[in-house]
Amino acid sequence: MKKMMITLKVNEKEHDLVVAVNRTLTQVLREDLRLTGTKQGCSVGDCGSCTVLLNGQPVNSCLILAVEADGQEITTIEGLARDEQLHPIQQAFVEHGGIQCGFCTPGMILSAKALLDKNPQPTEREIREGISGNLCRCTGYQKIVESIASVGKNE
Amino acid sequence: MLLPKFDYHLPKSLREACSLLDEFGAKAKVLAGGTDLLVNLKRKTISPEQVVSLNKVKGLDEATAKKGKGIVIGPLATAAYLAENELCRARMLVLAEGAGRLGSPLIRNRATIGGNVVTARPASDLAPPLMVLGASLILKSKEGEREVALEKFFKGPGKTSIKPKEILTQIFIPESDGPSASAYLKMGSRKTLEISLVNVASYIEVGPDLAIRQARIALGAVAPTPVRAKAAEKFLKGKKPGGENDPLFREAGRAAVQDAKPITDHRGSAEYRQALIEILTARTLASAYSQIMKTV
Repeated sequence: MKKMMITLKVNEKEHDLVVAVNRTLTQVLREDLRLTGTKQGCSVGDCGSCTVLLNGQPVNSCLILAVEADGQEITTIEGLARDEQLHPIQQAFVEHGGIQCGFCTPGMILSAKALLDKNPQPTEREIREGISGNLCRCTGYQKIVESIASVGKNE
Repeated sequence: MLLPKFDYHLPKSLREACSLLDEFGAKAKVLAGGTDLLVNLKRKTISPEQVVSLNKVKGLDEATAKKGKGIVIGPLATAAYLAENELCRARMLVLAEGAGRLGSPLIRNRATIGGNVVTARPASDLAPPLMVLGASLILKSKEGEREVALEKFFKGPGKTSIKPKEILTQIFIPESDGPSASAYLKMGSRKTLEISLVNVASYIEVGPDLAIRQARIALGAVAPTPVRAKAAEKFLKGKKPGGENDPLFREAGRAAVQDAKPITDHRGSAEYRQALIEILTARTLASAYSQIMKTV
């Protein structure tokens, strides 16, 4: 088949879409659903700027065909804030200087969320390993690690 | 980077998948985790007309122990699963360790053992562990099934003896013959998202007197395929180490260098790789032996 009808549950909302089979999840999220928080960086799974949570697990959406995500639950960065209130991880990044240009930030925060959901009080080493699929060219990672660690301490 | 055009199939059973491959043969590529396939499609190193996804076929993504008769691993088991699963960590620690170093946490949530084995890169993180565990593969087509020892499967970088109409449906790990342990080490310029300079898996089995009944050592990234360090294995057979710090292990490391043919490339020189083979072999052997000493 060349096109498929799929249902994606994104940030708790269901979307029925007809997509070409050769489109990636990144493309469909950004172009069809206008959720541009997920970024297109390297396109080959090396930078992590395309990170989304697929059934709670952080993945490179650039390496997933949209049709393969049919029927699955996806969380993008847009799904974290509640109305006007930032998610604690987002708040921590703002307060601790974990954001410079912001390009890696959605992916970093989602990887951090997946880490903290599994391991609420990670050590520094565990944090660095947890975000090791996300590259940042601005911060040198230190403030990102501190931002994530601060969420761990507050819980 | 955009994906090229292809036709996509989502079989619900292995039978259906084999039928599709029988029809398309070399015009089709199998899709498992997609972390190699999609990269290759984007880079235009391959251009299949057909993509056959296995992701709706049930029952292929777990490791199961067969009472006293080894362990069966499904080809769609992800690296993340292998790294964290209790059975894998208890009975195949070397594979869990290799899986835990593959790519990044994001890649590990999608990359599959079947894909990694069939993609057959010389620096694969899963191949040396599987080789020292004595793994064999089941390859299935519409015609039937055949079993291939992993040792005989790799032919060169990216080349295996799988036929275009075949699917890897199972990886079998035989039961070990006595107290045994294993370890994996990977060395690269980074701690993540790295293709190894050298990677080594070691497996030791001891007899009742704690002498080495059998050692298996596999080296990655230092030959066109992952290779067994047979000279080192022969050297260790029957020897009784005095402890994990026994100089035996370093001597075995020196012997292991003979079985490798490292090249000089942008990651490092052949000489540096040879030095690493010696050290990583010694360290993985020592780690395996110390694990055994803790349990007996």
